[in-house]
Amino acid sequence: MNTSPSNRKANAFHAQAKNALNDATLKQALRSATDTFAERRSAAIAAVPDWEALREQARLVKDATVARLDHYIEQFADNAEQAGATVHWARDGKEACAIVQKIAEDNGATRLVKSKSMATEEIHLNKALAERALEPVETDLGEWIIQLAGETPSHIIVPAIHMTRDQVGELFVDKLGIPPSNDPKTLCAHARERLRSHFAQADLGISGVNFGVAETGSILILENEGNVRMTTTMPKVHVAVMGIERVIPRFKDLEVFLRLLPRSGTGQHLTTYQSILTGTDSAQDSANGQGPEQVHIVLLDNGRSKIAVDEKMRETLACIRCGACLNACPVYQTVGGHAYGTVYPGPIGAILTPQLAGMHEAKPLPFASSLCGACKDVCPVKIDIPSLLLELRQRAVEGTDHEPATKRSFFESMSWRMWSWFMRGPKRFRFASAMARLGQSMPLVHRLVPPMAAWHSTRELPRLAKRSFRNTYKGPSK
Amino acid sequence: MSSAREQILGTLRSQPGLKVPPLPDVMTSASSDATPIAERIAAFTAILNKLGAPVDVAPDMTAAATRITEVLAQHNASSLALSDADEVLAIAQTLPATIERIPHDAPRESLLRSHAGLSTAQWAIAETGTLALVSRHERHRLSTLLPDLHIALVPASRMLATLGDAFVRIGPNGAPDAPTITFITGPSRTADIELELIVGVHGPKALHVVIVADA
Repeated sequence: MNTSPSNRKANAFHAQAKNALNDATLKQALRSATDTFAERRSAAIAAVPDWEALREQARLVKDATVARLDHYIEQFADNAEQAGATVHWARDGKEACAIVQKIAEDNGATRLVKSKSMATEEIHLNKALAERALEPVETDLGEWIIQLAGETPSHIIVPAIHMTRDQVGELFVDKLGIPPSNDPKTLCAHARERLRSHFAQADLGISGVNFGVAETGSILILENEGNVRMTTTMPKVHVAVMGIERVIPRFKDLEVFLRLLPRSGTGQHLTTYQSILTGTDSAQDSANGQGPEQVHIVLLDNGRSKIAVDEKMRETLACIRCGACLNACPVYQTVGGHAYGTVYPGPIGAILTPQLAGMHEAKPLPFASSLCGACKDVCPVKIDIPSLLLELRQRAVEGTDHEPATKRSFFESMSWRMWSWFMRGPKRFRFASAMARLGQSMPLVHRLVPPMAAWHSTRELPRLAKRSFRNTYKGPSK
Repeated sequence: MSSAREQILGTLRSQPGLKVPPLPDVMTSASSDATPIAERIAAFTAILNKLGAPVDVAPDMTAAATRITEVLAQHNASSLALSDADEVLAIAQTLPATIERIPHDAPRESLLRSHAGLSTAQWAIAETGTLALVSRHERHRLSTLLPDLHIALVPASRMLATLGDAFVRIGPNGAPDAPTITFITGPSRTADIELELIVGVHGPKALHVVIVADA
């Protein structure tokens, strides 16, 4: 099957995953990347004595915020406007894209630069802007590589994690006409030079937001490269796209999240740069190029408000987008981000996508997990991802007010009915156990007879003991 | 536009019966660490050195000027973009005449071609090896970002112990002290190609901190 970016779908997870499994280069890249990340993360948090207390605090803050998101997001918007920013509200991706388009057109902006933002990926902002000949140049190195390759990110922290240095080198030779090289340092120097000229000429910069502070209207953006600082300083207009769940109540709450996010994401104690931006600079500073003349903040709902009032699922919104659950997940480690066919891959993507895009768009994703719980263990805000996956599985099968139930195959519903009947009487149960023991002694039966055959194509059923516990308990066999 | 706002807020308010857990008190490391300044400087230095950024301690401004001149020579830097901090303007006067000085409000083209940038920092954080620059006190956004080399001249008395101490200073009364606050911890870096660390992708390729004892 064709897995070019535009053809990937969450509903085609199984085929995409199978494809990924056959890609040896991808496997190698994923294995080394996720191992490296996991080691760096462990080392970074081992040096923090009160790690658990930080996680607990962050979660309590997030829970309190999500429960009163109406209050905090309104407070944020009012304070940001007070400080000189213009705040826009977008119900969905289409509305958000139209707002950014209009800001660009109102200002006659034609040369756009952009720093990495998952919210803008989620709403396919670049594609919408490209339709008006306004496509921004991605300036995060990984995102730029992806943009040159016509690809989509496969990791929320390291977008080009699936590519090797050889592949990046070939891409640069092809697209930029550089002399052949696979040396990351050389490739990076070319990127610096090319992107500098884009920054120098840009008239509008687009960024995401890591945290928005309700009581002050400030936004905080973390990065390592300096491209966020460039994007938010050099152009005359700065547009920040912010999911409404990025808000936290107090300025001083930032400390706890700054301790958690970099360590969980890249294993750094702090990323190289944090920009804390509140409204606009003075007119004089803007005139001197010390900051943009206009700051726009686009508050994006796109399904988030519905999650906030879904009591069982609302903890999804505590996520701070660190990517730790991707690196820890045995499924992500094996198939990579593209197999998920969505903007948000891995465990967090498997709970976020069906809720944001609708279950009908992403039905296989809640099932793309062994429920091992590694994601929950590493999550800096202690999101119980396995339980949320189970809840979504139930909704996928039984349907909801908005989504149809899954039609089960004849064999599957028959099997469950039989299982239920056998379990409801001790004699029937003993009979079924005896039959199962007999079946297991004939090795080919369970591999050939549907529906067992399908189940067995990728797993092995644990063998039943020769004697049941019940019989052993009764005493030695006669 | 207001209808989008109302609709989003309306959905958020559509289930008034849901649980509202209380907001916990702020957790902060402020004032939790009383180590003397000399130890803070040592911790700050150790972290930045690990990130490839040298840290010098100069006994006075004259010594600091000498050190800055040496660092500029090491990097073959003959042009220096200045922030508008008093300390920066004062020390710039004493640097050799061969070094071109570029003021913070110079045309962008000259800032873009300057080899080095000189700023102070309003605060330094020992725990994390971080410089905190506050725009209201110092216009720093371009001079610390565009040149290949960033030199920061930091009075020793501004060395704080923890991140929490910095949040108290940059956010007195819980609100940020300026429209732009920038935290800088080492030179610009990326690991976007096979997670291999490369220094100097968009921002400065080198950071050099000169801590100067207070007069």
